[in-house]
Amino acid sequence: MTPAHFTFSSAFALGLMGLAFHRTHLLSALLSLEMMLTLFIALSLWTLQLNSTSFSTSPMLLLAFSACEASTGLALLVATARTHGTDRLQSLNLLQC
Amino acid sequence: MSCICFYLVLVVGLAAVASNPSPYYAALGLVMVAGVGCGVLVNYGGSFLSLVLFLIYLGGMLVVFAYSAALAAEPYPESWGSGPVMMYMVFYVLGVVMVSGMFWGEWYMVFWVPADEMGEFSMARGDVEGVALMYSFGGGMLLVGGWVLLLTLFVVLELVRGLGRGALRAV
Repeated sequence: MTPAHFTFSSAFALGLMGLAFHRTHLLSALLSLEMMLTLFIALSLWTLQLNSTSFSTSPMLLLAFSACEASTGLALLVATARTHGTDRLQSLNLLQC
Repeated sequence: MSCICFYLVLVVGLAAVASNPSPYYAALGLVMVAGVGCGVLVNYGGSFLSLVLFLIYLGGMLVVFAYSAALAAEPYPESWGSGPVMMYMVFYVLGVVMVSGMFWGEWYMVFWVPADEMGEFSMARGDVEGVALMYSFGGGMLLVGGWVLLLTLFVVLELVRGLGRGALRAV
């Protein structure tokens, strides 16, 4: 295992744990969903290390799809702020607000 | 040796994002991770990919995140110095250190720069040529990407429309 591979794998695992465990804000959950940055690095390193240059379109497409994901998450954040007045995940548990 | 520093900052920065601080500080950690990630890609010879990453992240996404951090504003933001955040941070960093101890004997530092293999005969760098393929053979996926971005526009508009006509009735 090279240090680069260990780095992006462990960074991805850290982001995933941060998303799964306790989050206070919806926005910070969205921020740790940006761990797809490490997936971008992983796909780019695949291209660059294996010299398969025709594969280097895939990190670009990954980035486009992740932009869609981030903007949908931010739209949900705005909708939550409009209904609940805050974006704390605790207030999403309430049955009546 | 600089690449080792890059890897270190990458892991510690993502631990800083994951350790549940206030969104301001988490966005700061994400800026750090994005910048260092560009450095890692440049180390491996992917200058165009790192440029794209830099522009998309710092130009596009983080402006949006900084805007919406205003929605999540709170009077006493928690940085990494406060108790539970510090606990998560120590937990994550110790976890990574333990896992890296498992792999300790097996490091090998390959540092091929194969995107430059035929550098004398080539006009552009390898990743530039590869991304240009998106406009010829990868045209189908280019169309899919454009379609997905357009669809996302309508999804966002429907989600935040309000007045009981949008996708979420409560808004």
